[in-house]
Amino acid sequence: MIEVAGLTKYYGPHPAIMDVSFSVKAGEVVAFLGPNGAGKTTCMRILTGFMPASGGTATIAGFDIHEQSLEARRNIGYLPEHASLYRDMRVSQYLRYMGKLQGMGSVALKDRLENVLGRCGLSDRGGQIIGTLSRGYRQRVGIAQALLHDPKVLILDEPTIGLDPNQIREVRTLIKSLAGDHTVMLSTHILPEAQATCERVIVINQGRIVGDDTTAALTHQSRDVEMMMFRVKQDDASIPGLLRGLPNITAVRAIRGDAGAYQVETTIDCDCRSDVARAIVDKGFGLLELRPLEMTLEDVFHELTTEEEGVG
Amino acid sequence: MRNILTIAQRELVAYFTSPMGYVAMFFFLGVCGLIYVLSSAMSTPKADMTGMFHSMVFLSLLICPVITMALVAQETNMGTYELLMTRPVRDYEVVVGKYLGALALYAVIILITAEFPLIYGIFGKPDWGQTMCGYLGIFLTGMAFISIGVFTSSLTSNQIAAAAMGIFILLFFWLVGWLGAGGSGVIGEVAKSISIYENFQDFQRGILSGKALIFFVTLTGFFLFLATRALESRRTV
Repeated sequence: MIEVAGLTKYYGPHPAIMDVSFSVKAGEVVAFLGPNGAGKTTCMRILTGFMPASGGTATIAGFDIHEQSLEARRNIGYLPEHASLYRDMRVSQYLRYMGKLQGMGSVALKDRLENVLGRCGLSDRGGQIIGTLSRGYRQRVGIAQALLHDPKVLILDEPTIGLDPNQIREVRTLIKSLAGDHTVMLSTHILPEAQATCERVIVINQGRIVGDDTTAALTHQSRDVEMMMFRVKQDDASIPGLLRGLPNITAVRAIRGDAGAYQVETTIDCDCRSDVARAIVDKGFGLLELRPLEMTLEDVFHELTTEEEGVG
Repeated sequence: MRNILTIAQRELVAYFTSPMGYVAMFFFLGVCGLIYVLSSAMSTPKADMTGMFHSMVFLSLLICPVITMALVAQETNMGTYELLMTRPVRDYEVVVGKYLGALALYAVIILITAEFPLIYGIFGKPDWGQTMCGYLGIFLTGMAFISIGVFTSSLTSNQIAAAAMGIFILLFFWLVGWLGAGGSGVIGEVAKSISIYENFQDFQRGILSGKALIFFVTLTGFFLFLATRALESRRTV
């Protein structure tokens, strides 16, 4: 549904993205993950036809974004980064305007408008002036606008930025419900977001793609050890030695500045938590806390980018 | 065509959901009304619109860049431009749609001034042919003014800068005719023929001039073309 080959964009002499290639199958939900300034928005602006690439090609639903720009744009629903809307318009008035520009007839528009307003939780806000809506509601209007014409491809640039945790959950649920009917590509700089909403993640850093795989595989691939931490009530010097004796455990370190807290490295694919817990409880150190350490975005990036540099 | 009308309609409605439309109307009609009343009261009134047309075309020069300054510049500034330009809409459709929206507001304002000749008609016998011709001239001048405003609005994200550039270009086309006032050289002739003021003169006197008609239509087309190019060039930056 989305085919990108060798996409490059220069702003002056500085390349914003370099040789970006990937493809997204129909019905897939893909996250475009990267830190701020990695080239996510540039890439999405090229895909939506807002600006041309300096090199490379891309097709949306089989239409070349440069040669058949209008046809390609007809198949895209787009939520730009800041979801800027006409503040002086009313919600349904705005949606009707965008629908008409999308080429929808008035009958189709009437049907879809009700549907989309309901789906985005805006049923009772149709008559409200957009400028008076809260940030979360404005974001919903932006998403409603992208969904309105039932496009094959949805491109959402940071769809949950600036929302509160409840709104984030609602938007994620909405995005997940789109899988299958729509091909969704969303950008984010938050790893849990990618994990929560998408089955596949494309990682971009400094304008280059550094990882492209399923969420699970990516976090595995990018590290060769699993980490966990635990905390005991009575700290004891014998704890590291005790745990190093267990199978699959490769390293035990006390966390500096946090008495009684330890970090444990284990080999991949062995959940050693129960072994560790039993060892500590048997000795009567008083286990207070035990949890796997989540891989942070920083870690993933660090791993992926250093790996790339090693290869190149 | 459908896209053009959709955009034009939104722009026209937007003038009246913001203060802009009302301010432009208030200013233009207020000053026109004042001039009308004063000129009628202070001299022996004649049922002749020539003086009024002169005032109206000068006021148009002031309000047109203000009407148009927001059209593209505000969208750029607010970020709504990105969503508009990623719809399946051609660049010229955006330009012409916005142009027609502004022209519609201008037409509404001009239409309201029809009260002046109508009041003359009650008390005297105005030359209706000359009056209609003058109105055609006012409208054609507005067409050209607004196309220049659309062009300058598409160059920047700052509305004030857009209006200032617009007034500058308008004044150039207004005043360039002075070059032709002194002599009859080639420069003078060219200056006269590209002067908005000189071309408007014929209409004001009640002469339906083909040359002036072609001038205004060409000028409008030229600046709408430039505005379209300005939008296109943004895609490549």
